[in-house]
Amino acid sequence: MSHVAGLTPVVATPPAVGEGWSTIVTEEAGIAAPPGHDLRVTLLADEGAVVAEGEPVACLRDAPDICLVAPMPARVARIALRSGRRLGEIVLFREAGGDVAGFDTGRASEEYGLRTLIQSAGLWPALRRRPFGGMPAGGERPIAIVVMATDTRPLAPDPRRAVEGKEEELARGLDALAILTDGPVLICRQKGDPLTGPGAGRGRAREIVCGPRHPQGAAGLRIHELAPATIESPVWDCHVEDVAALGALLATGRAQMRRHVHVAGPALRESRSVLTQPGADLRGLTYRVAAPGPHVLLSGSALDGREARWLGFRDRQVTALPRAARAGPPHWLIAALTRSARPRPIIPTAALTQAFGGALPAAAFVRALSAGDDETAMSLGVLSLLEEDVALADYVLGGDAQLGRLLRGMLDRIETELAA
Amino acid sequence: MIRGLWDRETVASLLVAAHLPLALFWLWYGGAEAVATVLLAALVLAGWHLVFLLARAQPPSLSGIVTALAVAVLVPQDLGAVRLVLGISFGAVMGELVFGGWGRNVVNPATVALSFLGFGFPAAPWPHVMEPVAWAALATGVLGIAAGIMPAGVFLGAALLAGVAGAAGALPAEELLAGGLVLVLLLGDPVTAAGTALGRWLHGGLYGGLLTLFALGWEGGAPVQMAVAAALLASLAAPLLDEMAITLWLARRRRRHGGT
Repeated sequence: MSHVAGLTPVVATPPAVGEGWSTIVTEEAGIAAPPGHDLRVTLLADEGAVVAEGEPVACLRDAPDICLVAPMPARVARIALRSGRRLGEIVLFREAGGDVAGFDTGRASEEYGLRTLIQSAGLWPALRRRPFGGMPAGGERPIAIVVMATDTRPLAPDPRRAVEGKEEELARGLDALAILTDGPVLICRQKGDPLTGPGAGRGRAREIVCGPRHPQGAAGLRIHELAPATIESPVWDCHVEDVAALGALLATGRAQMRRHVHVAGPALRESRSVLTQPGADLRGLTYRVAAPGPHVLLSGSALDGREARWLGFRDRQVTALPRAARAGPPHWLIAALTRSARPRPIIPTAALTQAFGGALPAAAFVRALSAGDDETAMSLGVLSLLEEDVALADYVLGGDAQLGRLLRGMLDRIETELAA
Repeated sequence: MIRGLWDRETVASLLVAAHLPLALFWLWYGGAEAVATVLLAALVLAGWHLVFLLARAQPPSLSGIVTALAVAVLVPQDLGAVRLVLGISFGAVMGELVFGGWGRNVVNPATVALSFLGFGFPAAPWPHVMEPVAWAALATGVLGIAAGIMPAGVFLGAALLAGVAGAAGALPAEELLAGGLVLVLLLGDPVTAAGTALGRWLHGGLYGGLLTLFALGWEGGAPVQMAVAAALLASLAAPLLDEMAITLWLARRRRRHGGT
């Protein structure tokens, strides 16, 4: 499909003050489950315990190898579990000084050792599988891994700037990823210099040039085009900075707990590019730059972000939006007269086609989604997509269509039917 | 979270705006009678929208204005108010409102109303298309395509076929003008046009082909009548054309990626 398809939604933001990245490690950080997924955990540290940076705080009940680690030297302040030992959140307070946990990289050249290393070093949540989303199971083998070195969401930071000068780590990380799959390692980037040298990823890395408009740089639509995920053949995607972090882990035996995050949005006085820890406190990141007045902090972009206290594990941007005044309930007569017409009908316009980057028959797909027609949606490629990939279409349609929620419902339904 | 604005009523109001050049030219040349017809049509449609709002809680839509204009421009003359009300009621209710309102309908209500009136009362003469109005329709089509609310593929497919037929001498000027006007008024509706890119080209091509066929072989048919009949048949075939386009798209994907 053509490289110019897509849209450029404009989100206002104040200009940044100063060049480059400032390092902000917030005093508090939180580990929470990714949105829409439950994590059943076994706790490895009690409240009040002091943990080193990179030390496991909890591991998954079903897969004890997969650990959630502390993003900074910290004291475990509060652990909130929901019923069934589901992770609510683990709040950490930073401790001055503190150690950095080291890992044994001796067996990382073979697959089992590599998997164990990634899982115990807390990098596994950086991987995301399709279909259905969430982190992959410990032993899963994807047919392809897509590395996102571009991000076309509004106000997103350029991932390439996050891996500048890290060519060696990136190459090492790509080689490691190639161990985990028999298929290609696809690197999506904007046009410009190549990110890798020849023979990267054990000769299976391939660079894909994407267009500059959203959703050209959305992982789901790239996977839909390059290597569609099916139920038997999952596809993983991850951020290029996490691949470089994996390379650094393999080289030094230490997990790198810093990431490049762009803090922007109309409710700020200045936007900033920061180097911070995963799970950083969003209020800490916007401290002193938030404009007066009520505002909401989103982990993620204005399109697909969600209101949160902590930076999501995979998120690379924080958006501050003014909090809209809560609308009162509609007049009872108007509510009664319009309520039955939901979900509102979809009018197939050029805007809707562009919102999917022209990658699939948009009107047919949206109709299948809102009618709950799983079979048609699967044949059109719903298994490659997640909520964030339809967020632009949802935005274009005015938010009435609730495509993200419909998509999640459909994916959950397909997953349940499959398990039954 | 932020919200865009392409919901149903935005599209409907943009459609109304795009139809303004056509409406102005047609009213200018049609005079008081034209004003009366379009007001009557709008009144009847508003009445039915109100009935369905109260009875079925279906919110009314501004697209009713476009329907009223299309009916008033293309309706056979000298029908009288009663028949006009009957025909528009049939078109609006059976063509659109029983399906759940604009956005869920399968055929354009104006097409249904016009077919009902045209075939139900064959003695009434069909209107002649004035050249300035047809040129204004071109402006409307360009506005609609530029805003992305009218199906560009349909227009281009029809234009392609009409161009070929016109060059071959199979499509006289009168039919060409009527065909263009009907193309913008009836097939320019994004809801009932085919939804896929290829389907839209086929939809327009089918309309152009049917129009050429009628122009060649329909003894005694008026140009507008032929165009309305072609529009009706083409819009009935639109879901099939979409299905074909999607099947083709799936086959291409299967060849590229293998598997199911």
